[in-house]
Amino acid sequence: MIAFLAFVVPVWIFVIGLYGMATSRNLIHLILCLSVTQSATYVLILEVGYRLGATAPVFSDVLPGTRAVDPVVDALTLTDIVVGATVTALLLAFALRIHKRTGTLDPDALREMSG
Amino acid sequence: MSGHVLAPLAFAVPLAVAAICAGIGPFVPRRVLDVLAFAGSVFSLAACAALASDAAQGTVVHWFGGWEPRHGIALGIAFVVDPVGAALAAFTAFLTTAAMAFAWTYYDESGPAFPVLMLVFMAALIGFFLTGDLFNLFVFFELMGVAAYALTAYRTEDQSAVMGAFSFAIVNSAGAFLILLGIALVYGRTGALNMAQIAHALGGHADGLVVVAFAFITCGLLVKAALVPFHFWLCDAHAVAPTPLCVLFSGIMVQAGIYAVARVYWSVFSGALGEHETALRGVLLAFGIVTALVGGIMCFAQRHFKRLLAFSTIAHTGILVCSFALFRTQALGGMWLYILGHGLAKGALFMCSGILLNRFGSVDVEVLRNVLRRRPLVTAAIALGALALAGMPPFGTFVGTTLIDDGARESGLGWLHYPLLLAAALTGGSVLNALGRMAFGWGPPPDPRAHTPKTETTETKQHDGFPYVMYAVAAVLTVASFCAMFVRGAPAAALGAAERFMDRPAQLAVVMNGAASGAMAHPAAPSLTEAVAYGFAATLLAVALAAAALFGHRLPDALTLICRGPGAVVGALRAVHDGVVTDYVAWLAAGTATIGVALAVFVR
Repeated sequence: MIAFLAFVVPVWIFVIGLYGMATSRNLIHLILCLSVTQSATYVLILEVGYRLGATAPVFSDVLPGTRAVDPVVDALTLTDIVVGATVTALLLAFALRIHKRTGTLDPDALREMSG
Repeated sequence: MSGHVLAPLAFAVPLAVAAICAGIGPFVPRRVLDVLAFAGSVFSLAACAALASDAAQGTVVHWFGGWEPRHGIALGIAFVVDPVGAALAAFTAFLTTAAMAFAWTYYDESGPAFPVLMLVFMAALIGFFLTGDLFNLFVFFELMGVAAYALTAYRTEDQSAVMGAFSFAIVNSAGAFLILLGIALVYGRTGALNMAQIAHALGGHADGLVVVAFAFITCGLLVKAALVPFHFWLCDAHAVAPTPLCVLFSGIMVQAGIYAVARVYWSVFSGALGEHETALRGVLLAFGIVTALVGGIMCFAQRHFKRLLAFSTIAHTGILVCSFALFRTQALGGMWLYILGHGLAKGALFMCSGILLNRFGSVDVEVLRNVLRRRPLVTAAIALGALALAGMPPFGTFVGTTLIDDGARESGLGWLHYPLLLAAALTGGSVLNALGRMAFGWGPPPDPRAHTPKTETTETKQHDGFPYVMYAVAAVLTVASFCAMFVRGAPAAALGAAERFMDRPAQLAVVMNGAASGAMAHPAAPSLTEAVAYGFAATLLAVALAAAALFGHRLPDALTLICRGPGAVVGALRAVHDGVVTDYVAWLAAGTATIGVALAVFVR
């Protein structure tokens, strides 16, 4: 059951994020939905390194050899978060600029290029 | 210098120069930054060229921080430099150098951001080509992406540029998350991130999880490669991005997506999925052919010259995906040559569009009617670029096409030649069509009811002096693309590199056990002279298509009826390219689902 949920939860988060992006009426909302989509990747990566009954992989106060979760996935997630923060900041700057120029954030009203 | 030293320097030095430029940017004159950035890219070019010659003697493996694998487990991050990766990295540095030279007089004033971001973009691409680590590949994918988004929106006063960058960033980030989901699944299964170690751990059998992971990673990378239906961001972003940057976008960034699909397939999944190659071929060929034709048709329907070139890049992506999907040494070798030939020709064409924008303040073909009448150099460069896109001998695209066709015949898919020939002819023909209007004023006047593209605000002030540097750079790229067939041994070297690229067991030995790989083989290449007739057939078709578009209105009415059918297709395709970013996300989801379901059904 847990193994089943481990796959279903990230897929669910990813799909609702995509759904939110595809139906969005506001660029800021769209960016936040992208962040939701990304959090599916955090959840999945952390899950694949999780071990039942294990502690954090910091051996300052526990003995080396104690059962710990996989430290690599922590590093991956951290990198992923940094990347996500950069992209989100850049996208929000774009959205601000678009709003300043056009006075709207509705993607349907912003057909700059078509056909 | 040995490759072990050069491999990290090739991407670390431009990053360091970028940091220095960003730091001193506000305090020094613009030319100082330009010179520094130029020097940085020239350094990378030299380093990657030296790496390529090293890699031809044997694959170079560099473990960062000396973290070499112990007992078959690689904790460190490795650069695995084979001839293909090194050659493409060198090509990236070459195009960046050319683009920076072009930008020298192109911009009257540019802030420090432009050279800094260009260097970061180049460094990320070089790292992307050299890395042997799956997660590292994702990091470079994102670094390249972030620099590219910021550069696309470089002219922040132009709202279409910012909106183009927005769509670009949204769609590519969603693609990156797909890649990451796939990487997480692979890591969960194998506990490894090094490609060679993953391949070893996966063994020779694929189950559902491996197929799903492969589908996620491939779809994510194909977003960068602009496969239909993931391609919508490309035509919007290329049309509005700064022209020197478009040279890199169309010349190498899009192709980097296909390179990565090939790299991930042959370094990681080819053992596990090898028995399902027929099924994979079917799915990828279907998408590739659709991409080639949709790109070609939309290309033909454009008035905006940069958007036209963007759609031609999509058509050529289709050709490249088809050549990958053949899973043949011949076709893969042809694909590498095609990437080089296409990158040079497309780079030169984008530079011509930059000259148009710089001289006449527009890239709308109808606005530019007749303006090239007394500009024989630009006219000649655009004409040569068009012939190169059509695959005329002796251009590099022709050499690539010959090898790809050879691979297709070996696989019993000789018919594949015809859709790909049609797509190449459509892209060449649409450039000739635009040129006929710009240089000679041919063709019917535009229908006032027809779709009018938004006019682009000029990137630069208009100039009257002769732009020697811009012409020179465009000429160098055109001539380089033209001379491809005369480089003796290029096809043999490409085939040897492809053979090495596909040899997974040898890679495992080199990466994990530190074995030395032998020098690159130079297998016999097929004769090019036999294929010359095919190459000229594509060129003739391109000229015929352009002539039909330019002079079709003079034919009797009965004949123009024939044009109604294609007209309806174009209308429908135009309606799909609606410029709404939310629809692009919906297409991304639909495309991923289709590829995923197709693989689930056919790969058993």
